[in-house]
Amino acid sequence: MLHWVQYIKGYVTIKVWGYSTERFLNLCGNHDILVWDIENHGDYYTMKISVKGFFSLKTLLKKTGTRASVLQRSGLPFFVPKIKRRKIFVIGLIICLFFWMLTARFIWDIKIEGNYSLTEDVLMDYLKSQGVHTAMKKKELKIEELEMGLREEYDMITWASLRVDGTTLVIQIRENEMPQYDSPGQSTQSSDSEKNGKDIVATKDGMIVYMITRKGVPQAAIGDVVEKGQILVSGAVPIYNEDATVRRYQYYEADADIRIAYEKSLSVEKLTAYQEKVYSGREKKILLFGIKEKEWSLSAGRVSYETYDVSGDKNQIQLLDHLFLPVFYGIKYAREYTMTEKIHTEEEMQKIMEGEWKKILQTLEEKGVQITEKNVTINKNSDKWILNIRMQLVEEAVKTVQTATEQIPDTMSEEEATVE
Amino acid sequence: MRKNARRTLSRQKEIIVESLKLPKDSMLGASIVTVTGNREAFIENYKGILEYTKESIVLQGKNCKIAFQGKKLSIDYYTNEDMKIGGMIENVRYF
Repeated sequence: MLHWVQYIKGYVTIKVWGYSTERFLNLCGNHDILVWDIENHGDYYTMKISVKGFFSLKTLLKKTGTRASVLQRSGLPFFVPKIKRRKIFVIGLIICLFFWMLTARFIWDIKIEGNYSLTEDVLMDYLKSQGVHTAMKKKELKIEELEMGLREEYDMITWASLRVDGTTLVIQIRENEMPQYDSPGQSTQSSDSEKNGKDIVATKDGMIVYMITRKGVPQAAIGDVVEKGQILVSGAVPIYNEDATVRRYQYYEADADIRIAYEKSLSVEKLTAYQEKVYSGREKKILLFGIKEKEWSLSAGRVSYETYDVSGDKNQIQLLDHLFLPVFYGIKYAREYTMTEKIHTEEEMQKIMEGEWKKILQTLEEKGVQITEKNVTINKNSDKWILNIRMQLVEEAVKTVQTATEQIPDTMSEEEATVE
Repeated sequence: MRKNARRTLSRQKEIIVESLKLPKDSMLGASIVTVTGNREAFIENYKGILEYTKESIVLQGKNCKIAFQGKKLSIDYYTNEDMKIGGMIENVRYF
């Protein structure tokens, strides 16, 4: 602390020599002139003294028969005139300070904490839609509105807090850790669908090979040949009168396991001739520089190859986690190639065909289709191979559709009326 | 005779100060020397410097002289009320 005061007031390092330096020190003390860092160098003393003190030394020096000379000037009063001569430095310093103060008024980074199931991208997109992004003014932030908006937009968020930490917007959220149970709204929806009812219909022509009905009235049985669109299980369950006439229909969502067997033929053609890129090994490196959509190559000269591939990396300059500048840089490689006509060998063709067959099998497997019979033949020509496949498939080829409301014959209601 | 009188006066003063439990340094002008380790000494209540070399610093107190002897002695600061001595202090002597 004292050091700072001394620095601000300014002090000089002096050299004192002569007849009675001890007396000189005593007199300094008596006259309340602060001296410090007194060092004895044999013939002379060096010490530090305030500027004000230095100017009042004259009488003391005369009295004690000593002499003093200034060795070094230190402190702010000496520093300021020195700095005045370095105008550009001072201007730079001021500009720097100004820039610093200016940039401190913006948000330069956004940090999100406490999100587990909501990804950062989702939240960032939401923030962007609300006009919150990096390089925005702090003044434009409406923190309370955003907090509320976050809670309203995402049911999962139970608590949200935003704060500005320097130039970083810190968003802390708490997600609902309890599993979400069916809300009452959903249950009404299901009852609604029950009221309307749903049928199960076939999506393919074929024969039913397996059928278990859990809910609804079966309209077909195992062994029946059905057409696409045919109702297999009806969601309208009739309730009969005593005389076996329909009193009314009760509608359910039909539920059944049904498998339909059908035949499918496929053919895949592959040409034996193909074109192959043969790289000549010549390569050209191109340095890239881009701003927004525009791009410039920094390498001199053009690519002289007739046909070439271009591959490379492009990087965007990133200052902070979420602060990207619209400036790109990267390297591109142009590789020369020539197209050559080639013909697959028998072995290669065999492999290609096997690959095709495997692909088909895989897609069928993914769909959950069973193959009960298959017949695969390959027709070999000089210029192409044809893969012919005939398969017997078993698949749960059904879908649910809305039940058409059944009309109860009018006579029935009339009868009912007469009974009443 | 005069010397005797002065001595009795100072003795009486001492008794009064002691019985009233007044601080001795301010009433009697006794020097306070605080030595921290053998590197630092802090002195209050003294009149002046009599000698200052790297090997010894002699101070004039009100009633006696105090000599610090050692190596590479230096005065860190020096005011009318107190001073600080740095360096390696080997002995402190009152005479």
